[in-house]
This record gives sequence, C-alpha cells and structure tokens, in this order.
Amino acid sequence: MVVGNLPSWKPFSQWQSTSKLSNTCKNEFSVTCRLLFCNCAVLLWKPLLLSFHLSSSSSLRAGLRRPFSLSISASAVREGDPAVGSVSLGHVTRTDFPILHQEVNGSKLVYLDNAATSQKPTAVLKALQNYYEAYNSNVHRGIHFLSSKATDAYELARKKVAAFINASESTEIVFTRNATEAINLVAYSWGMSTLKPEDEVILTIAEHHSAIVPWQLVAQKTGAVLKFVNLDETESPDIEKLRQMISRKTKIVVVHHVSNVLASVLPIEEIVVWAHDVGAKVLVDACQSVPHMAVNVQDLDADFLVASSHKMCGPTGMGFLYGKRELLSAMPPFLGGGEMISDVFLDHSTYAEPPSRFEAGTPAIGEAIGLGAAIDYLSGIGMQKIHEYELELAKYLYENLLSVPNIRIYGPVPSGNTNRAALCSFNVENIHPTDIATFLDQQHGVAIRSGHHCAQPLHRYLGVNASARASLHFYNTKEDVDDFVRALNDTVSFFNSFK
Amino acid sequence: MISSPFNSIVPLSFSSSSSSSGSVMLPNLYDYPRPKRTNFTSRNLAFMPLKCIHKYRFDSSSESDARFPSFSASCLTATDARLTSSDLVADRLRRVVAEFRSLPEPIDRVKRLLHYAALLPPLGDSARAPENRVTGCTTQVWLEAELDELGRVRFRADSDSEISKGFCSCLIYMLDGADPEEVVKVKSEDLADMNVGLHGKSHSRVNTWHNVLIAMQKRTIALLAGSE
Repeated sequence: MVVGNLPSWKPFSQWQSTSKLSNTCKNEFSVTCRLLFCNCAVLLWKPLLLSFHLSSSSSLRAGLRRPFSLSISASAVREGDPAVGSVSLGHVTRTDFPILHQEVNGSKLVYLDNAATSQKPTAVLKALQNYYEAYNSNVHRGIHFLSSKATDAYELARKKVAAFINASESTEIVFTRNATEAINLVAYSWGMSTLKPEDEVILTIAEHHSAIVPWQLVAQKTGAVLKFVNLDETESPDIEKLRQMISRKTKIVVVHHVSNVLASVLPIEEIVVWAHDVGAKVLVDACQSVPHMAVNVQDLDADFLVASSHKMCGPTGMGFLYGKRELLSAMPPFLGGGEMISDVFLDHSTYAEPPSRFEAGTPAIGEAIGLGAAIDYLSGIGMQKIHEYELELAKYLYENLLSVPNIRIYGPVPSGNTNRAALCSFNVENIHPTDIATFLDQQHGVAIRSGHHCAQPLHRYLGVNASARASLHFYNTKEDVDDFVRALNDTVSFFNSFK
Repeated sequence: MISSPFNSIVPLSFSSSSSSSGSVMLPNLYDYPRPKRTNFTSRNLAFMPLKCIHKYRFDSSSESDARFPSFSASCLTATDARLTSSDLVADRLRRVVAEFRSLPEPIDRVKRLLHYAALLPPLGDSARAPENRVTGCTTQVWLEAELDELGRVRFRADSDSEISKGFCSCLIYMLDGADPEEVVKVKSEDLADMNVGLHGKSHSRVNTWHNVLIAMQKRTIALLAGSE
C-alpha cells in the first residue's frame, strides 16, 4: 500500500504556496522524470510514488504535481507503451488528481465510477479558488473592474467550450445547470413550440432517463408520440430499425452518442443524415462521449448536443447545450428572469439574443470558469490521445472481466470494427449488483456504481432490475482494472461462500 | 458461531429518550426478561412465519444474556409488564448498534449482516408485489405491515439483495411488535453508528437503511389512519 503511506494532502488553501522546489527535490524530480521518459522495460509506478514519499515532504509533493504532469504528459505518453506496468497516460495524469491518492476503508482507493462523475484535476480546483479569491463578481451587468474580469472569464469559458466541440461560434453554446437542464431546455422551448399531435419523437430504449422524461412531459402536452428503438442482436441500439422508423412524421431524433450502460457508440453522422432527409432535427446526448473523445459538432452536423461539466473533469452545477444558431434564434425562452431579457414592461418583455435568452438569472460563474479550466486541461493532453488510451483500457477491462465466473457483461462484444467505451455494466449470477458494489467498497476500496444507472427501460429490456458498472477515465490504469477484477473475484467467492 | 462482546454501553442518540417521561429506563441487560409469546389470532396467521424470528439472536456475551440465548424479537412485547414499548425499541436499537460497533473490520460487519439476512424468513411470491415495494432503493425491497390485536405494528420484509435483507432483518428485529408511536420516532441517524452499508448519516437516495425505515414509518402512519 505505497499510496496509502503517502503523506496526506495539504489543505486546499495551501496549494498555491507550494510550487517552489528545494534543490534536493529538484534533483529527485529530474531523476524521476528521466525514469519516466525512458521508454524501456516495465516501469512500475508504485516505486516511483514511494521515491516521492521518501524524498519529498507533503508540501513539496503537492507542489510537484502540476509541473510534473504538465511537463511530461505529452512526451511521456507519446512514447509510452500501453502495456501493463509501463508509464501510461493514466500513470502520468493520476498525479494531477489529488482525490485519487487516498485510502478508503483501509484500501487504496480505486475509483471506477467515472460515468457517474469524473474527478477534478488540480488545475480546475485552482481556477475555482482563484475566481473566488481574486475576481468573484456578477457578470454582464456590473461596470466595475471585478465584474468586467468575471464577465471576460465567463465568456472565455464559453469560447473554450465552443472550440472544444468545434461549434462555429460561441453564441451557439448555452450554459445550463447540467445536461438534464439542457435537454429540458430543448424539449420545452423547441419541443413545445414545434411539436403537434401525431408528430413523432424517436429515441432508443438505452437513453438516460434525463433524455426520456422531458420528452414524455412535452409529448403529454403536445400530443406528440414517442417511439423507441430496441436493441439488436449485438446488444447495441438497432440502427437499422432506427433508420426504418424515421419518417415524415419524425420531428426530432433524441439519441445518446455513447451508452452509459452498454458502452456502445452510435453512428451519429449517419443518423443525422437520415433525420435531415425528412426534415427532422437530432439532439445528441453526448455526456459519455465529450469527456472521452474528440467530438466535432460540425462534422456530426447535429442540431443540438448536450454534455455535462462534471463528467469531463469540470465542476458540478454546470452543463451546456450546443444548438445551431438559426435554431436557437428561433426558439422562445425556457425560463424567465434577469439576464435573458432585452426590455421589460409591465405587460410584456422582449428577449435577448441567444445564448443570453436561455440563461435566466445569475449563472454558475465560477463553475463555468472551472469548466473552461477542465477543457484547457483535457486539450493539453489531447482528446485523441485520451480516446486511444481509453480504447486500450476498454479492451483490457472487458477481457479481464470475462475471466470472472458466471459474469454477464452487457452491450456489444468488442471486435475489429466494434469499439466499446471504457465501461462495463455487468451482473454476476445470483449476487445482487448492489451487494457486489457494497462489498467492493467496504472490503477493497473499489468504487463502482450499482443500480439501473438512470436507464430503467433498458434494464427492463435486458430482463434485470439492476446491474453493476465499472467506468474508467484516462487517469485510470490497467493496475486499477487488475485491482478491481481481483477484488471482484474475491467478492464473488465471499458471497458464494454464504450460499 | 457468531458472537460479539457486549462489553460497553454505547452512547447513542435515540429519539425516544426525549419522550414525555423524561427518564426512559433501558432494561437491565443483565436481567433480561424471558419473552412471552403472543397468541396469534386468525388475523395474524399471515404473520405466522414471524415465529422463525424466535431464532433471532443479536448475541451478547454477557452472562445473563447467555441464559436467554434466543430471545424472541417478535414476542418481546409490551405484554411484559416491566418493559414499555419505548424501552424495547431503545434497547433493541442499542443492542444492534453495539453489536455492529464491536466489529472493527468492515468485512465482519458485512458477514454479520449476511448472518441476519439468512435468519429473515423469505416472503412468498404474492407478498413480493409491486404495491409492497419500498421505493428508492437500488435493490428490490418488499415490506408488509399490519397492526395486531394489541395495536402493535408487525412487519415482514424481504429483498433480492442479501445485504438489504440484512438491513431489513435488523430493522424488523428493532421495530416489529413495537407501538406505532415508537416506530415513527426512530431516526435513520440512529442507525448510522452501525457503520455498515452506506457511510455515516448519508441521505443518499440509495440508502437502504433510510428508505426501509421511512417506508416502515409511512406504512405505520397509514395503518393508524386506516384504523381510526
């Protein structure tokens, strides 16, 4: 338990003051970097951590974290061999995530619940702290220095989001509380003003509840009909059926990009072409894709796309809606209040242009700036690099999980042309997934999710009430997967011994 | 054989301790009364399997408890003149909390929970009905509640998860046969010291302890409303 023996992390308030390195530590740092850069053999991370432990105080370690990762991430990863034990992207980046270096229930924390939420790198925590310490102020209205600075930072975050998904302009990005609110915005604003009785909304049964329920509510009000696509024999959403289901009655297709349960990836470009052929719009729930791969809204030609900050290393309380400019401009407001108006009279108001029209009230300013910092961090690594590494992790996770007796992994079997996201939902025969998750946590410090993952219709289709899910991010390593699979085998043995 | 030392009285916050009397006397653990059995009326036949809970044993290593190694949860009731219902709930809660607190290793607490899960008689298929589901749990939990002829609440529960079944088993041990007003007084915070399942005083929507307890209390309130 090398990690467990590391000195505890310094309080947040002391992080900024720890960036200066002593000569001794600089030497240690350079030695360590040389070790990391060497492209040979199997280089174990734990001894490296140990060397930090022995040679540096906790404050130095905290100070090292940023320059350490920033300076080596690009080159070390490019040269690294993804084989077990080598310096992978996970090994390099996990030092940026203070939360990962702790013990849970006496074991080293293995955090595999990234599809629920991701962890935050120091850069994001610092951006938040800096905002509140240095220029917290309300945006878009104050004329003083702080307000001007906060407004610039807030709007810069919007530009960062736009660039990250390649929107043509930043006014196509609406900040919301989360992806759920972004979907509700489209459903209530675009849906309520567009849908008529008998109009059809096409979804898959694998959608997250947040992509289903808003459309149920709007369908009840408008008389529109929801149509759901089942899974095909590969246990992916049936794309052929989806294509056949699209007709002149279709007004919008609401689909996930990457499934949070099945790990399957939908061909959004094709779906968009089919939908546009009949004049229908496409809303993409990209919560599980934007944090893990390069997503280009212009290439996809999606009309709407939503994602969540907290799943992409940013703060909670922040999500965004991308909408094509002409669509957003034609949409009525969703929520009323300050920020979103042009002029207010007693009997009516005129509304601001998008995105302000859809951002009523004081927004989550610090969180938006934190999301901007997260995007800088992800872009610094490179989304293509993250994606390639996660594909490797996904394969490793799937193959190793298969070794667990009586396991059933949901979703498509990976093959030459079928990639899975780096997550696996599964059940082990005769053991409740919540029991598995509880034991993994209490006995092994492994954090996974259990339940229906906000996808009850999908679980019903699969014939189960719940499943367990391990979901990875780029800061996970193959050792994390090994620890998890070892712990899962132990868990299965434990429960079977009670039968 | 699972046993736990009952060597210290654990301070706990228990809501009923603020009852009107102001001085709830916990039963003397070293002179625990032998339970009397309730005669089940025909109305209670549906609850006959509760007799299985006579095997319940939240073990204590105290000598005098050893003389009563197998007290009945369902029948340690207000029929005993020396114990009020609030005493009973308080005492059972304290015993359960103390027992789990005596186990420092998480795995031992989980094992103990599974032990009690195994003691909980299963519900039949008819009782595993949607209307008996406890909502909000990531596992499926079914709960039945009924008032007996003495106005006490009788609970039965089951789950598709062994750990949840263990929670149900402990809750039934604590609350089955208690007066309705005592059932509604218990707070989920009182259970946090058991430190098994979700951590601390979690108000997570998946906290089975909390969800089942709240369901027991809601059913109790509904039963009272229905009987008036």
